[in-house]
Amino acid sequence: MVSSARYFVLLAALLAASPLVLGEYAQQILSQAFFFAVAAVTVDLLWGYTGILTFGQSAFFGIGVYTVAIALAYYVEGVMGTAAAMVGAMVAAALIGAAVGWLSFFDRASPIYVAIVTLALPVVFTQVILSGGAYTGSSSGLPIPVPALSIMQWYWIAGGLLLLVAMVSYVLVSSDTGRILVAIRENEERCRYLGLRTSRLKIRLMAASSAVAALAGACYVLFGSVAAHSYGDFVFGTELVVWTALGGRGTLLGPILGTVGVNYVSAVLGGNLPFVWLLFVGFAFVLVVVYLPQGLVPAIGGSLSRATRAAGAIVNWRKVVVGAEGARAATPQVRAAASMRGMRRGDAATREEQGTLVLELRQVSKRYGSLRVLDGVSLQARRGEVVGIVGPNGAGKTTLLRCIADGREQSSGDILVNGRHIAGLPPQECVALGVSRKFQTPNVFDALSVLDCLRVARSYRASTSLWRRSHTVELPEPALHAVHVSGLLSRLDEPAAHLSHGAKQALELAMVLALEPTVLLLDEPTAGLTREERAAIGSVLMELAQSHRLCILLIEHDLDFVREISTRLVVLHMGKVLVDGPLAEVAESEVIRTIYVGGGTRT
Amino acid sequence: MFTTQLLDVVTTAGVLYIVALGLLIVYGVLKIINLAHGAFLAVGAYAGVVTTGLGWNPWTALLVAFVIGVAGAALVEWRVLRGLYARPMDTILATWGLNIIVVQLITLYFGREIRFAESAIGRAVNIGGATYSEYRLVLLLLAVVLGVGVWLVMQRTQIGIVARAVIMNEELAQALGINTRLVRFVTFGLGAGLAALAGALLTPLVSVHPNLGVPWLINAFMLVLVAGVSLLNLALAALVLGGAQVLVSSYGNPVLGSLTIVILAVIILRFRTITI
Repeated sequence: MVSSARYFVLLAALLAASPLVLGEYAQQILSQAFFFAVAAVTVDLLWGYTGILTFGQSAFFGIGVYTVAIALAYYVEGVMGTAAAMVGAMVAAALIGAAVGWLSFFDRASPIYVAIVTLALPVVFTQVILSGGAYTGSSSGLPIPVPALSIMQWYWIAGGLLLLVAMVSYVLVSSDTGRILVAIRENEERCRYLGLRTSRLKIRLMAASSAVAALAGACYVLFGSVAAHSYGDFVFGTELVVWTALGGRGTLLGPILGTVGVNYVSAVLGGNLPFVWLLFVGFAFVLVVVYLPQGLVPAIGGSLSRATRAAGAIVNWRKVVVGAEGARAATPQVRAAASMRGMRRGDAATREEQGTLVLELRQVSKRYGSLRVLDGVSLQARRGEVVGIVGPNGAGKTTLLRCIADGREQSSGDILVNGRHIAGLPPQECVALGVSRKFQTPNVFDALSVLDCLRVARSYRASTSLWRRSHTVELPEPALHAVHVSGLLSRLDEPAAHLSHGAKQALELAMVLALEPTVLLLDEPTAGLTREERAAIGSVLMELAQSHRLCILLIEHDLDFVREISTRLVVLHMGKVLVDGPLAEVAESEVIRTIYVGGGTRT
Repeated sequence: MFTTQLLDVVTTAGVLYIVALGLLIVYGVLKIINLAHGAFLAVGAYAGVVTTGLGWNPWTALLVAFVIGVAGAALVEWRVLRGLYARPMDTILATWGLNIIVVQLITLYFGREIRFAESAIGRAVNIGGATYSEYRLVLLLLAVVLGVGVWLVMQRTQIGIVARAVIMNEELAQALGINTRLVRFVTFGLGAGLAALAGALLTPLVSVHPNLGVPWLINAFMLVLVAGVSLLNLALAALVLGGAQVLVSSYGNPVLGSLTIVILAVIILRFRTITI
């Protein structure tokens, strides 16, 4: 933070001094580009960081333009009036942004849906302005009286606004909340199953970035003195995306440089070769999307740092120092959490809890049309039990876990977790009741480091700051144990994408345990693991059930593994519970042999 | 009055169907949203302008447009899209980039001014007491012919069956030895060819300028998402949403009318699963 603050001071000084060398024409062009860049930064927050592809930020820019223009043309005057109009524009945009978010971000929305809604928004905006007749200026634009400011003053205002927005955005994306935004981009479903209210966060982000885009538009119309519908139309909306992609999505600096670069060159070439330049931008855009999806700034930055690395000994020496600092910072990164709800050691209190019923299914069915995947499943599970769920493919094992982790999945029946009905509850609320689910294939946040993955998982319990980034994480003992056993402790700074399959499985288990669940759902936790990794996970699970009295439901194909760690076996077949009993009885029974050795089609 | 309105509804649906057909095919088989569709419409429209400008029979424009569309699409699929199928969101961006390129190329050559093309049929006919444009009726007929034609291709021919296999389960199709790369290539070419054909058919109804594709693209895009991947659903969507557009324009106001499809689609899609 300290070093980045230094960069911002440097940029501010550069901004203040640059009119000394830049002519008035350049200042004017750059001012315009700075206002556009503010809107591009909001596109980057939504799309680059959070993964929400939006074509609609132009509409919010346009709302800023027209709110202020109409207010100044008909209703208000003076500094206070203008300021009030700007605030009004931001509020209006925030409300519309929240409405768009509310419409777009429901739990099962396709990522394409928000693109559709945000594409519709500028289309609607343009038609509204065009049909406004003389009131909105229709297609010829609405001229307004503007404050008497010099070109240089406008240059400072535009640059100052851009710097401020960039700084606030930088603080946001570097914060704990920013980490969650990236986690949403990487894997929103996993976030929901970690108990995070992703839709609410996205709606708030949408509202905030809409307000900022409107502020940029409001300032821009005061600078430009004419409101035109093209500042809120579909083409401008796509241009913002194009500039962001060219510069580099998810970098903040990329969209700013992309916007300023494209706009500056268009203005310079504009007189002579406007269409050729646009053609060039189109080609550059396609090339970047195909060959450099991360954009130009990261690509150039990457090759620069490669060049410096090749520069030799001095740089090496500096790297060692940085490395030492990194190591010092790494030591206290993971700590045991002080409070561990429902995870006390096997003392007197847990003896009482032993055998407490925590999960109860009564006649649960799941149908897809006429197909019954689960058919009247009844089941009970208590603290300290490890229930192995076995059965042939298609028996409904994964569906059963899905129904317990998401109250909206079941077609009929009752599911109670800790005595509470979960019917109709989305995953994040099932997490609140104490259910955690580990997916079949490892589901971690590839772009985040191991430590950050754990932080995101833990943010369900810890508070999430909008501006601070915590560098440590307090894990409950079971999660810490999983991190220890799997050797992840020495790899906390590595991106999760670099981990082996087994290490990812362990990381996801640790993330799920960080939620301090009472009911743990595991879907083939040992699939694709080596013998050693399997033994390590087995020991973690047994420890969880015996010392921490967790109730574990485990789907597993490896019968030997199930025998080793389960206390009870449930055999599912064709969506029904075939057998349910203590391990010793069921494992040797005829049913298991029939299903696993052959002839598994009996009904 | 009533007859005219009824004819307006069905012919508007026909025009929308023709415009959206290529987009639907590409969406179904390649699972991408081709934002360059509007550019291919423009290419077809200018093919109409050029051929009639040369004094050729207006119907030849259809063939010329189709051929140019297929050729352009082949180049695009080969050089740009082939590497992007694993990144569906990026194909949206890349096809929009292609749209920019094509529109700028057209602008460089033809300029931005509005042009008109000669209509193949300028007559009006009398139906049920109403005088109506024969061309619009022919378009309706063509929409039906194209719809049935594509349906027959999908149901009866080898390439159609292969394409349907790819729609249903691409991985399985690939495992069974179907050359999905070729299927994509042919489908994208066909989709863009149909887009250019639609552009040529539109020329007598609209004023031709480089950006004419954008509003059509947005409406077609909405219709396709509402319809999913079914030809019949597309016809239904074109009829219902297009009909609503006609009625809102004549009884409400034209501005609201031009937004009808977009707004209805946003509402419908809120309650419908989108598959991509």
